[in-house]
Amino acid sequence: YQRRVHGTVFNRIIEVTTKMSEEIAKQFVQYYYHLFDNKEERVKLAPLYQNSSMLSFEGENIQGQQAIMTKIMSLPFGSIKHEVKTIDTQSSGGNTIFVFVSGDLKIDGTGTALKYSQVFHLVPTDNSGKNFFVHNDMLR
Amino acid sequence: MGDPFQLATAFVKHYYSSFDNCQRKEDRMQLGSLYKDQSVLQFEGQNFQGPQKIAEKLATLNFDKVNHNVKTVDVQPSGISNGIVVMVNGELKVDDSPNPIKFSQVFHLMNGTDGNYFVLNDFFRLNY
Repeated sequence: YQRRVHGTVFNRIIEVTTKMSEEIAKQFVQYYYHLFDNKEERVKLAPLYQNSSMLSFEGENIQGQQAIMTKIMSLPFGSIKHEVKTIDTQSSGGNTIFVFVSGDLKIDGTGTALKYSQVFHLVPTDNSGKNFFVHNDMLR
Repeated sequence: MGDPFQLATAFVKHYYSSFDNCQRKEDRMQLGSLYKDQSVLQFEGQNFQGPQKIAEKLATLNFDKVNHNVKTVDVQPSGISNGIVVMVNGELKVDDSPNPIKFSQVFHLMNGTDGNYFVLNDFFRLNY
């Protein structure tokens, strides 16, 4: 698709849209890891995935909400804490948003942290501009 | 559409060999051909849009030679047209530095009107 620049009004719309995407991304990341890092809450991640969702978890490819949740709920650690260092956001076609996170993972309260990178591709579930599901999820 | 994994792997190979074969900074301007007007590169958190601005950023990075050593490539269809999301993790070395630096890069590849894939979204982060 083509996007043509028509001047200051268009640029202002882009500014606002960019700020909105960044805000959505930030809130999403906070919410996602809050649920993930809390053993009792982790199951509440399910509505964020749909049948078309895909997860690549350390190279293992998993498709669909059910299989993804089975994987997430079966991870073999007790406690986990995601410490986010950077969040990069870009909007893409169809009002979707890419969120690229990097940070540290602390597992089972050990001192050492594993570095990780994760990409989420958020796709709107309705026209409100506020509700998204995770269509693509890649973690290394 | 061809197999996304094959397309992505071929693209990644082409991208990094084009990058790494440049002997001088200015040669990296040619990487602009992989991007279109609506393409965005986020390089260590800084945004650049369009082939000219993106190529200029890559051509002014402070080294002459670089070697990207790709360790892993993860691929998924993005659900937008025939788009493909690619996550690359690896190490790079610049000029004569003996120490590799870890990096992560995400490409959202889109098929253009000419049938070839271009980079619509590009994210680059060093991990140190």
